[in-house]
Amino acid sequence: MDMITGHDMVKAFGVGEERRRVLDGVSVEIGEGEFVAVMGPSGSGKSTLLFALSGMDHLDSGTVSFAGRDLSALDSEELASLRRTQMGFVFQQATLLKNLNLLDNIILPAVRENRKNAQGIIARAKMLMSKTGIAELEKRDITQVSGGQLQRAGICRALMGSPKVIFGDEPTGALNSRSAEEIMDIFTDIHTEGTTVMLVTYDAQVAARTQRILFMRDGSIVSEMRLSKYEGHSMDNRIGAVTAKMREIGI
Amino acid sequence: MLYRIIQSDVMRSKFITLTTTIFVAVAAMLVSLAAILAVHLSGAIDTLMIQAKTPHFMQMHSGALDAKRMTAFAEQNSQVDEFQVLEFLNMEGARIVIDGQSLAGSVQDNGFVTQSSQFDYLLDLEGRIIQAADGEVYVPIAYMKDGTAALGDPVEVSGKLFTVAGFLRDSQMNAMLASSKRFLISANDYAAIQSDGSVEYLIEFRLKDLSELGAFEAAYASAGLEANGPMITYPLFRMLNAMSDGLMIGVILLVSALVTAIALMCIRFTLLAKMEEDVREIGVMKAIGLRLSDIKNMYLAKYAAMTIAGSLLGYLLSLMLQGVLLENIRLYMGDGGNAMWAVLVGIIGIVCLMLTIIAFVNGVLRRFRGISPAAALRFGAAGGASSGAKAFRLSRNRLLGTNAFLGIQDVFSRKRLYATMLCVLILAAFIILVPQNLHHTISSEGFATYMGIGNSDLRIDIQQNEDIAGRAAQIINTLDEDSSIAKYVVLTTQSFQARRDDGSTEVLKIELGDHSVFPVQYAEGRAPASTDEIALSVINGNELGKRVGDGLTLLIHGQERQLMVSGIYSDVTNGGKTAKAMFTAPSTDIMWSVIGVELRDPSLASAKVAELKQRFNDVKVSGLAEYMNQTFGRTVSSIGTAARIAIGVAIVIMVHVTLLFMRMLILKDRYAIAVLKAIGFTNSDVARQYVWRSVCVLVLGLVVGTLLANTVGEGLAGAVLSTLGVSTFTFEIDPLSAYLLCPLMMGGTVLAATLIGTSGAGKIQISDHIKE
Repeated sequence: MDMITGHDMVKAFGVGEERRRVLDGVSVEIGEGEFVAVMGPSGSGKSTLLFALSGMDHLDSGTVSFAGRDLSALDSEELASLRRTQMGFVFQQATLLKNLNLLDNIILPAVRENRKNAQGIIARAKMLMSKTGIAELEKRDITQVSGGQLQRAGICRALMGSPKVIFGDEPTGALNSRSAEEIMDIFTDIHTEGTTVMLVTYDAQVAARTQRILFMRDGSIVSEMRLSKYEGHSMDNRIGAVTAKMREIGI
Repeated sequence: MLYRIIQSDVMRSKFITLTTTIFVAVAAMLVSLAAILAVHLSGAIDTLMIQAKTPHFMQMHSGALDAKRMTAFAEQNSQVDEFQVLEFLNMEGARIVIDGQSLAGSVQDNGFVTQSSQFDYLLDLEGRIIQAADGEVYVPIAYMKDGTAALGDPVEVSGKLFTVAGFLRDSQMNAMLASSKRFLISANDYAAIQSDGSVEYLIEFRLKDLSELGAFEAAYASAGLEANGPMITYPLFRMLNAMSDGLMIGVILLVSALVTAIALMCIRFTLLAKMEEDVREIGVMKAIGLRLSDIKNMYLAKYAAMTIAGSLLGYLLSLMLQGVLLENIRLYMGDGGNAMWAVLVGIIGIVCLMLTIIAFVNGVLRRFRGISPAAALRFGAAGGASSGAKAFRLSRNRLLGTNAFLGIQDVFSRKRLYATMLCVLILAAFIILVPQNLHHTISSEGFATYMGIGNSDLRIDIQQNEDIAGRAAQIINTLDEDSSIAKYVVLTTQSFQARRDDGSTEVLKIELGDHSVFPVQYAEGRAPASTDEIALSVINGNELGKRVGDGLTLLIHGQERQLMVSGIYSDVTNGGKTAKAMFTAPSTDIMWSVIGVELRDPSLASAKVAELKQRFNDVKVSGLAEYMNQTFGRTVSSIGTAARIAIGVAIVIMVHVTLLFMRMLILKDRYAIAVLKAIGFTNSDVARQYVWRSVCVLVLGLVVGTLLANTVGEGLAGAVLSTLGVSTFTFEIDPLSAYLLCPLMMGGTVLAATLIGTSGAGKIQISDHIKE
């Protein structure tokens, strides 16, 4: 069953002669429980595709349906509610609020949704922090931890509402290779637990962890490849396959 | 390059730049206006007093005058340069009818004079000495200003007809604060109406050396010469002339200080926001080795440009507006002839303002030093975590909604940022509440007692009467028979010599009678309770150096009498120099009497006034409300107007600054807003958070503003009133208005401005700020 379906999506930026289609009639389906990566060179439209499928960007034309609901028919309040309850987001920068410490940042969307269950929310946040290896940092300000730790906190925040889908926009883009690998281990675990994951990345190592890769260029999906379920030992082969495919289609 | 940086920055923040420039322009305009007005006022007063040859010392006197003795004194005193005695024909207001309207209701002592021959000239509007022809009357300029008289109006004085031939400037009595007004007529006409009024003498001296005035005053007093009436000196004439326009200049300066403070707050806020926005760039500039002064100059340049543009605009505006404000000075006192000097002083004022602003900007920019390049590049923040909000933990919050928590927490974690808005709200509360509380206080009934006036229903003034004691006795008989009168008291004022500690004497006007009937407010001590006690007005107490419990020696008909000071009280009547005692003295020397009356039914006051006026047409009968209204009505209504204007100004400032602040905040917080939206917060959630921020700052501002208004504001108002002789002043606050209506009005204004100012938050697109 499809979790997200985008049909003939068009999105352009700029004015007059400068106007350029960043999504040029893209159609895509992402099934429930899938682990998908979107790859492509800078400006190919991969982030715009993620923002369109999550309802954070409005399309010029085309439709997106999320868990059977047409996103274009929803107003901003309904879209916000959907993001809060059924989606989770992880961005390249951790996008945490400066005024709050790590724990408060993590529980923020959850307490907005249900303030009465504060104890339960805090317990879940601590469990997630422990799972992602930042249990000791709950009282730290965001300027007192490393980039990798911030990103883990961002993932915890995204998971607080037990979302159906996690969207990641280059979630390892600002991290060193070791931190990136640790973050990808977390995403792999999330997927294993049954959550649909969609990542945008330029990194073959990240893409190689997923089961399906969409390649984009100039606003269109130019190719697609499927991989078997990730097992730790097959990583080199998977990366080799992904880079070969990238060479084949010239990105 | 500097020009390009300024231009692009101005284009990016047009609204904020324009607003700040306007504030600077208004401040510059007001500073320049105040400087120009002050120079003109001072010049005009000097010119008027030189042209008119104002006396250096003047003693008003009613009653018999020993001209020979007076002349002998003048001739023997080496200080005297010129001396004259002018007659002032005091005319009952009801006997003067200008264009069909009588002056019966006027609290001024209106009288007729002929032109002086030696000095103290009455001048026309061109500054020339007027010579009135028969049938002509020249009317004090104040009556032209208030619309009482116009050129060519018929004036009837005790049945004799005159025509208003012009208006006169009187270097002594121009100001409304001077309680007498002189009308100029010809000598023939004066002789014709002389029998209809009572003559009062103006005994005038010009001295060879004005600095000897103090010694001359003492010599006059010790010579025991005629002194049945107020004595006024040259510096006091100068002050009276300067008072009303001087107050206006003071108010303009005060408002300009306020506007400058707001301009500085706007600059501080925009600069801090800009620095935070540019922190990465500043970090990069520091990292690549640019000097701190180079970076500072880039920011300073924009504000210097804005300050210069605003100041120039303000100066031009002040030149355009000065005519309107100079009108009053020119009308009352003529042209000072200091136009160039005024222009120069205006420019100096503006240059001072510009330097203040630039120094301030420079001070704010010192924060650059605290920016660590590493922290700036890594986190986009000036380094270090937000401080002061550690106690606010969302995970511990059980009380507030999430939006309320985030709003309030933000205020406490970015205190410096919100300090600007807080200051504006404190200031707004202050300027709304102080004039309002002052207005409520001075328009309340009890305020009369602050001014040395007992709180009776009616007041009967018996003055300029040959037999004051006899007349008072007749009135008392009538009051005794009148069942509507609850109580009354007769207070007679007589002049005595008081001996100072150094042996010299000073004339003291003492109000004798029972002061417990209609008591006044005592700053210290109490009313005199026995014939051995005396209470002094604040000014007299200070001049004589006496405090409660001190002894005071009076000379009563050559006999010394020892009294004890029982109290010190506020007084604004008779120049604030009065005293109160209970002893009795021979009734021959009575200067005037006042009978205070309380009615059984105070609502009948106006009917009773009319009845008594009809019966005793040679005395002044007024209801206390009417008396207060005529004496202080203009002051009360001016303060009422000022209070309303203050509310208007405060609302404009609040709307403007809140709008500006919220727009800046949204601009600054756009990334955080995008994050909140991305994790599922709605537009109305975001709007609620900003409303909570406003509410938090508003409540703090209201509390602090109200406290300051009730303490510092009360002190300020008291300081202003103390110049009039009022001491120990406390606000009488209308709780409904001060503690409910004003906060509601301020709250409504700030919330409306917040909602409008933050409407842009809904338009912030997540993808514009978060997409990599």
